Amino acid sequence: MAALLRGLRAGRALRGLGSVVATPTATTPQCSSLRRGFHCAALRLQDESKSDKPPSSSSTTYHEHYQAHSTEQDTTAASQEDSASDPAAETASGPNTSYQDQSGEQGEEYETEEQLQARILTAALEFVPQHGWSMEAIAAGAETLGLSSASTGMFYNGAGDLVLHFITHCNSQLTEILAEQHKQVQLGQAEPKETADFLRDAIETRLRMYIPYIETWPQAMSILLLPHNIPDSLKHLSTLVDDIWYYAGDRSTDVSGSHHPRSPSSSTHTFLSPLHHHPHNIRPATLQMNWYTKRAALTGIYNTTELVMVQDSSPDFQDTWNFLDNRIQDVVNMATTAKQVQSTGEAVVQGLMGAAVTLKNLTGLNQRR
Amino acid sequence: MQRAAHTALYDWSQIVGPAVIRRCLKCRATLQQSSRAFSVIPPPRDSEEKEMLDRILRVDHAGEYGASRIYAGQMAVLGRTRTGPLIQEMWDQEKKHLEKFNEILAENRIRPTALLPLWNIAGFVLGASTALLGKEGAMACTVAVEESISEHYNSQIRALMEKDPERYTELLKIIKEFRDDEMDHHDTGLEHDAETLPGYWLLKNAIQLGCKAAIYVSQRV
Repeated sequence: MAALLRGLRAGRALRGLGSVVATPTATTPQCSSLRRGFHCAALRLQDESKSDKPPSSSSTTYHEHYQAHSTEQDTTAASQEDSASDPAAETASGPNTSYQDQSGEQGEEYETEEQLQARILTAALEFVPQHGWSMEAIAAGAETLGLSSASTGMFYNGAGDLVLHFITHCNSQLTEILAEQHKQVQLGQAEPKETADFLRDAIETRLRMYIPYIETWPQAMSILLLPHNIPDSLKHLSTLVDDIWYYAGDRSTDVSGSHHPRSPSSSTHTFLSPLHHHPHNIRPATLQMNWYTKRAALTGIYNTTELVMVQDSSPDFQDTWNFLDNRIQDVVNMATTAKQVQSTGEAVVQGLMGAAVTLKNLTGLNQRR
Repeated sequence: MQRAAHTALYDWSQIVGPAVIRRCLKCRATLQQSSRAFSVIPPPRDSEEKEMLDRILRVDHAGEYGASRIYAGQMAVLGRTRTGPLIQEMWDQEKKHLEKFNEILAENRIRPTALLPLWNIAGFVLGASTALLGKEGAMACTVAVEESISEHYNSQIRALMEKDPERYTELLKIIKEFRDDEMDHHDTGLEHDAETLPGYWLLKNAIQLGCKAAIYVSQRV
């Protein structure tokens, strides 16, 4: 009986593997069904197979269309057309206990699918210079983790998943760096920077993370422009820009919400500082529209600098950083000009009002009878 | 209950654990930096709660901003008459409310509504045009707007109480306080002959309809 099961399993796996190997990039149509039933229990089984465990049959389940495992795998279960993968099955006794030292995660019952995907994508980043942002890189990454290259079937967005993962990774790295700097400033161990400098350094740090992949970055950018990737890439971009402004704003922990005493209030700074309390005779609309205009400005700076960086051939991308400096300077100048226009406008209005009152006095219209 | 909390926390930590898996929840470690003891809203547990709190605070902020502009419009017309000081007083209270919401939005990194310039103009125009109808007109506008806002705050209080009164105690306290202020303004408006305006019923309902639309839109945009 066990031998029969084995034979069936081997045959099915061989057929599956054959079709997967033949069309590595065309896994998309099958992937939705794959994904539905694809449960991490199955992957754990794969890990288990390394330790030459005897095949266990009853307590685990996986989806019938399961093709993503290699033939060397020796443990299977009777396949079931069961799309409701059952986490309770994993905690059943026996074969589930030995994988814990395989997964590398201490003391956890199982690894979620997202965590596994993240591991594969992180491993795949190494192969990007070689294969570009593509399924081949993901397959190579999966192989370094000891998984079958067919596990790329998990990524139904393919190269888009890889690029988005990389972007998320860079954003969180940047957030950590900014948080660390913020902490240093709070502890008084570092001087707070001027807003313009802060923005420049933040963007430079962030763009430098692309340097190892700069050859293939145009491909990544074009992948991000695909219609189904645009919502995600916009979301990541807006998160990035919001984070940078948040740290540039240095919100203090006091409740009064007063303007933080960080930098001298120069005229340029007041535009660039978020939610600064204007006196109430200035139109309050500028207070809050700042939120949007600042982020829009920074998005523009970031995107254009990224484009410049991609075709920059100067040593250490010096041209790019000069471009960045100039753009930030532009924004600062624009802010200064805007403020000057506003104060000029106010002065003009005051002058006109004064003239009107004078006229009214002269003509006697101002008297109350 | 404790087990449920424990497993919830456990799942949470599994998701949040590896630093690179933040995208699932747009987790921002920065929120924890503001000291909890002083912040008005609790750090949201998940993106659903964050979205709910975002909407509530965004629309409240827009509401106070609009109210402030309405009073500004009224002052522009009636500032030098006998009702000037009364309107000024109500305006000052609205400014205080607005400041408080500014603080909350800043602390919690909530996006203000993109329609603020629209409310700026619309509020001012509404205030000024009703003030042109005279003192009764301005009072009628005040009554209509304050009634809308109080109703709106009440429904928010109900929603928060239904969810979890203990978790949101500070936020509830603030909203209740502001609602009481708005009710005071409403009563003040009534005291000062709002109802004697011809066409009072029509004006009141038109303004309230406008407020409802504004609330609906500000929650989303």
